[in-house]
Amino acid sequence: MSEGGLKVEQPMESVEALSREAEGLKVKLEEERQKLNDVPLTTVAARLENLPPLNIKPRRVLKGHQGKVLCSDWCNDKRHLVSSSQDGKMIIWDAFTTNKEHAVTMPTTWVMACAYAPTGNMVACGGLDNKVTVYPLSFDEDVTQKKKAVGTHTSYMSCCTFPYSDQQILTGSGDSTCALWDVESGLMLQSFHGHQGDVMALDLAPSENGNTFVSGGCDKMALIWDMRTGQCVQSFEGHESDINSVKFYPSGDAIATGSDDATCRLFDLRADREIAVYTKESIIFGVNAVDFSVSGRLLFAGYNDYTVNVWDALKCQRLTILYGHENRVSCLKMSPDGTAISTGSWDFTLRIWA
Amino acid sequence: MQTNLQVQSSIVEQLRREASIKRTPVSEAVEDIKQFILQHEQEDYLLIGFSSQKNNPFREKSSCDIL
Repeated sequence: MSEGGLKVEQPMESVEALSREAEGLKVKLEEERQKLNDVPLTTVAARLENLPPLNIKPRRVLKGHQGKVLCSDWCNDKRHLVSSSQDGKMIIWDAFTTNKEHAVTMPTTWVMACAYAPTGNMVACGGLDNKVTVYPLSFDEDVTQKKKAVGTHTSYMSCCTFPYSDQQILTGSGDSTCALWDVESGLMLQSFHGHQGDVMALDLAPSENGNTFVSGGCDKMALIWDMRTGQCVQSFEGHESDINSVKFYPSGDAIATGSDDATCRLFDLRADREIAVYTKESIIFGVNAVDFSVSGRLLFAGYNDYTVNVWDALKCQRLTILYGHENRVSCLKMSPDGTAISTGSWDFTLRIWA
Repeated sequence: MQTNLQVQSSIVEQLRREASIKRTPVSEAVEDIKQFILQHEQEDYLLIGFSSQKNNPFREKSSCDIL
């Protein structure tokens, strides 16, 4: 008993010592990052020639949802899309013909996340039901027959993706965690703790060997995770409001973020700091979705003011605005071969631009 | 107290890890980004356009096809 009593005092001191150490480390971190901040991105980019005018036009309108479109994802065949909506439906589209190939009614409204499996044989979705459910796709029978609940969070599921195979699925949630699930057994393989607020978005590193992913959330932070160990390996701050979207730069060396603070930002992993802010005084609405063109030169961003802004990622200048949606642009995805981008909106439609 | 200690030590552990990572100067990182773009811009159809609209899978279907 007396030993137990002694232990109580020890932690008291340690907590203080640890707080001091934490403060010291934060200062040191900032100093180290600042030391290597030798040339701003825009200075390097200024030497490049300006881009010729872009010729990106609206090509398709996908109509069928009876509520706000909340999420969408391309199939690797570069032709099919899955989308999910506030109306509780998930729709599989043939984007070439605009036909609906499957329409699945979920047992919940606000289906906030959906994802295509790499083989194209399966989709996953979920939202306010706190669950991630997979649906194997087949034309022989009703796809709901073979649906399978894989994982459950303690709050809504905001985002999901299949990391390189159909066997696992990675989710982010309003419970401030991310989790990696085994599709077959439904077992949680790894959980990722570190965010201090709802996780809103995640994205896998482009290289399979990387085994890392990025998440962003309402704590204004973007965190880089090691998928195998569950450890947060890097953290980026700078945004002044919720991060709604995160996306790896195609080389895997940087990430872009979109936030309610009306800015997009670029953080470099190796320089370990923010290297660009995409902003304009006239842009005052939040960003819900970001994605890069194949080379990474163009950054597409969907805003609450119904527009998609296309940024020169190097020069940090806005190149053009894509008009068409009649409400917030909620999601935006580059097609796998980079020939088109899809956007989804609170106006109940999805659009394809190319 | 115990949980407080655990929280604090995990924060410090995290900061120690982050403080120990190797960093590259911004100029070097930016140069790599620039090189990646130069290497891939020819495949970037949204950036440079399609050499022919026929290569655009989402082009408008022409109203009459040659049989």
